Amino acid sequence: MKPLEIIRNCLKLLLLAMSTVTASAHADVVVIVSAKSPITSLTAEQTARIFLGKASSFPDDGDAIPIDQAEGSAIRDEFYSKVVHKNSSQLTAYWAKVIFTGDGRPPEKLESNVAVRKAVANNPNAIGYIDKSAVDKSVRVILGQPVR
Amino acid sequence: MAIGYYFIALLGIFACITNAEATGTDQPMVTFGGFGSLGVSHSSMGLGDYVLDSGIPSGPGRSEDWSTTNDTRIAAHLAAQFTPKLSAVLQVDSEFHSGNSYQPEVEFANVKYAFTPNVSIRAGRLALPTFLESENRDIGYTYAWIHPPIEVYRQEPITHSDSVDVNYRLQIGEVGNSIKAIYGRSTIETNDFPTTSNLSSKHLWGIFDTVENGPATIHVGYQERDTDSEYLLTGQTGTLVKDSDLSVGAQYDPGDWFAMSEWIQRKSTYKTGAMYISAGYRVKKFTPYLTYSQNSPGSFLSGFPPPSSNGIRLANRSQSTVSLGVRWDFMKDTDFKFQFDQVKLSDNSNGFLANVPANVSLYGAKFHVISAVVDFVF
Repeated sequence: MKPLEIIRNCLKLLLLAMSTVTASAHADVVVIVSAKSPITSLTAEQTARIFLGKASSFPDDGDAIPIDQAEGSAIRDEFYSKVVHKNSSQLTAYWAKVIFTGDGRPPEKLESNVAVRKAVANNPNAIGYIDKSAVDKSVRVILGQPVR
Repeated sequence: MAIGYYFIALLGIFACITNAEATGTDQPMVTFGGFGSLGVSHSSMGLGDYVLDSGIPSGPGRSEDWSTTNDTRIAAHLAAQFTPKLSAVLQVDSEFHSGNSYQPEVEFANVKYAFTPNVSIRAGRLALPTFLESENRDIGYTYAWIHPPIEVYRQEPITHSDSVDVNYRLQIGEVGNSIKAIYGRSTIETNDFPTTSNLSSKHLWGIFDTVENGPATIHVGYQERDTDSEYLLTGQTGTLVKDSDLSVGAQYDPGDWFAMSEWIQRKSTYKTGAMYISAGYRVKKFTPYLTYSQNSPGSFLSGFPPPSSNGIRLANRSQSTVSLGVRWDFMKDTDFKFQFDQVKLSDNSNGFLANVPANVSLYGAKFHVISAVVDFVF
């Protein structure tokens, strides 16, 4: 094989490996607010700031109350790696710094997609993330793949 | 005065226990947590002790071959949210200090009142946010290194003060800005002077600003205080010395890697400066990193009496370190770190080595330090 061909084959293999990795991420996370909320969209950065406690309101005003999911759940890992760019130990490190310096406390955690959806639906100030499959009319997707 | 703060904090914690409905959320009123590090280090320099800060009386090198004094500590933290606006924290740390003991001390105890989510005031024992990692310097789990670079972090011996601070947070688009102003006093134990002493600082004030834009953080601080360092050096009562610090730090951390650098300029009876630059790369559970750090010898300022020999010794301390290390997140809420430091002392000082015999000069010496630590949070 010529060197160029070898490189090409290596690249193909790499692409294949990368596509497999993407496909294996099973949770499809979307960020939601209540259907009663006026918010229609948010950037990943704005969402990250709310979940890290760095912003306490939505960009167009109005208090923002983040609702988190259970530690160790796949949906939580997916959300923080995709939207906040932190893995679980980086997140623990971040909150250790905030909590132990008295600067704040982490968001309330609920145990399931359905529990988060219900809590968000009932509070126009709440923001949460759930699996796309758990979305219904009571909530609005503001970041992630819109639901048909 | 400080006792008053603890009393307020404890009273508040009691109040919140008896008033569990106050916050109106499902979050617990009082949370208990803590952190710790179990570390051991070895220095190839047998004529002096390698110590992290002036509060640690001995370390690896001359006193011990392998020592736990630098990187071993445990802390318990109690946080209470009485109402959405009123909260308090109490943190007790146990680490090695004079008297060769790990006797616990109150590191933080303060009450916070948030007028709005973005404007708050705190009173009590507070951290002094000189550097990016000042407030969390004891929490090994929160950064990649074994400990923050000593040439820079030693420039600020005051870790906490009994103060009042005001915080104001502002969001402009995706850029977050937070500004903090602090006023108070502090007393810290130090082994820098001829005997173990308490360095008092009065009229301590500072203003600190942090700008964050996505993965980028910039931190700038300026502070002043009047200290009794000359009295501790000479034993003669006189005027207090005004210390001032200007510190600047920048950090870029997009998730998979980080780079950061900090710089400080200090003025007291002499002027000195220090800086470091550090970068690391995260590969799955491993974060290898490389740091270069150095401080410059002090140059005496005019308008002060001629410095004492101890004053000259303190001002001259200068060294540089290259550190290579790795952090391994091997378990939930727990990491293991290993670090190799190559230290070079300046040509006219023993650097920050402690307990060097009076007749020994280690000017220009090179040595290495090996450290390993397990950090955890709970």
